[in-house]
Amino acid sequence: MRRYIVRRVLQFVPLLFGMTLLSFLIIHLAPGDYFTQLKMNPQISPETIAAMERNFGLDKPVLVQYFYWVKNILTFNLGESFAYHVPNAFLIKERLLNTVALSVFSIMATWMLAIPLGIYAARKKGCWQETVLSAAAYVGISLPSFFIAMLLVFLAARTMVLPIGGTTSIFWTGASLWEKFVDYLRHLLLPGMALTLAGIGSLYRLMKNNFLEALGSPYILTARAKGLPPVLVLYKHALRNAVNPMITIFGYELSGILSGAALVEIITNWPGMGRLILDAVLSQDLYLVMASLLIGGFLLILGNLIADILLVMADPRIRLR
Amino acid sequence: MEKTLVVKNLALAFHQERRPVTILAGVEFEISSGETLALVGESGSGKTLTALSIVKLLPPQARLETGEVRLNGQSLTSLSEREMENIRGRQVGLVFQEPSAYLNPVFTIGNQIEEAIKSSLSRKEKKERVAQMLAEVGLDEKHYWHYPHQLSGGMQQRALIAMALINHPSLLIADEPTTSLDVTTAVQIISLIKTLIKKHHLALLFISHDIALAHYFADRMAVMYAGRLVEIGPTRTVFNSPRHPYTESLIACLPEKYKPGEKIRAIPGTVPDFANLPSGCPFHPRCHRRMERCFREEPEMFPVASALVRCFLYGNSVATEPGN
Repeated sequence: MRRYIVRRVLQFVPLLFGMTLLSFLIIHLAPGDYFTQLKMNPQISPETIAAMERNFGLDKPVLVQYFYWVKNILTFNLGESFAYHVPNAFLIKERLLNTVALSVFSIMATWMLAIPLGIYAARKKGCWQETVLSAAAYVGISLPSFFIAMLLVFLAARTMVLPIGGTTSIFWTGASLWEKFVDYLRHLLLPGMALTLAGIGSLYRLMKNNFLEALGSPYILTARAKGLPPVLVLYKHALRNAVNPMITIFGYELSGILSGAALVEIITNWPGMGRLILDAVLSQDLYLVMASLLIGGFLLILGNLIADILLVMADPRIRLR
Repeated sequence: MEKTLVVKNLALAFHQERRPVTILAGVEFEISSGETLALVGESGSGKTLTALSIVKLLPPQARLETGEVRLNGQSLTSLSEREMENIRGRQVGLVFQEPSAYLNPVFTIGNQIEEAIKSSLSRKEKKERVAQMLAEVGLDEKHYWHYPHQLSGGMQQRALIAMALINHPSLLIADEPTTSLDVTTAVQIISLIKTLIKKHHLALLFISHDIALAHYFADRMAVMYAGRLVEIGPTRTVFNSPRHPYTESLIACLPEKYKPGEKIRAIPGTVPDFANLPSGCPFHPRCHRRMERCFREEPEMFPVASALVRCFLYGNSVATEPGN
């Protein structure tokens, strides 16, 4: 197990290498470049451009540029944003925190609601409770996340219950740490709810079907024939088998932590990575794009690794080699 | 002395969309302790449902209409689900057809056997009890920590037998326990069950579609057709001189009965659909000795020698000439 994890972590290196190289080349394929754009921009002095040229070797061929970039990455230098004139690390740090907070909040809320609801509906199969829940889930699946976000923004604006946009209120600077935390949560609630409502339906349906499938399995008959009480039959024998397929999905969700919320972020004006990456790509802010891609790729690989490890812990039939 | 298991006039119906469909009707048998009763019949004749009716583990659409099940003198019919939980495992053990599917893949063998223990023992005592049971079914102690997929089919079935017998029940129900195993493993499992039955003086309800296998180790034999028992009696009587035309045909189809080069025999027709049972005796469309009244009336069980046979050839009137 430990050897497997070490090997998987070592595999990160070539994977990230390949991924960044490919993205680097693809960005260079796009017509026009930041260079010409910058030169036309009177706000950027020729000295800055020259400094960058020296720093990253922009006058050299693409491949050489790439290796300059890698060299900078290895010294934890993510470069500087052309558009914002600040180090990318600084830009990303703040945005990354917001996005991670939003994603973690919505993933937790989605799972903590969808799993119990799925189990409940499976146990109430054929009753009105299941019908109501499944109909609601169907609506949730049909509505795209951005639409739900717009709806919530509209409702929030009408009722003034929740703040819209940003992460802080005006009184932020004078507030205590606790008040700051509560204020941040209140701002998080709107985009968080939009993402949760958009994701809960499909997860609920999966959980319900998994649980029903487990309940229909022969080993459930064995468990009942042993005279086990319903609590053990349902929450030991059926649940453990129903949860296994969900773990892979959980891994995918982890990898989507950065990019999954982009649309909702833009609509609810949540200052996360989504907006930043979109703007960076549009303005060909090369090193900002590359830095975001690097972090996104890292999370993707990490999410899959975590899912694999969780799956091994949950299902004895799977062995890592 | 009270029999271990008494099943009286059992009737079961499936309640689905339109009208209830009768599956079992008038099923009656008894098993004393140390005795083996084989319940044989084609697939879909209601054997498994008979077994599940005894412990009330029926699918939701199935309902017991009439009848009584008595286990060690106690009537199970009126017991609640909670009370049945106490009966299952403690007084009746069940073993099923396909061991790999009937074991939970994500728990160890030891865990699954241990959780079946009904008496309150310390962790250590429970573990000892499981180890003892594993040895009794011929499994190594190391299999305690193994997961089902690490065991062969025969070993899995041994584990399920250990699970069924861990509380020393008085009745074991084995539903086609060897059907999914290869022949040599099946023989081992059968002889294991035989040994355990002798040792613990268990009553055994052995369900099989294989009349030859049933003949090999049952004391008495019950033949089921379309949810009815058609013949029941001592194995030797039923097997050597079958009275019911269905039993007769089943035995005539056994491969042992053929001479080299002879054409394979089969009972003409198919098992009837429960929703559309033929009128009168349900076997009459496939019967080579049917009479006119078989189309109209359903026979009761008539005593013939030491057996009971559900056929008009043996009672209720003078035998008429067999027609077509």
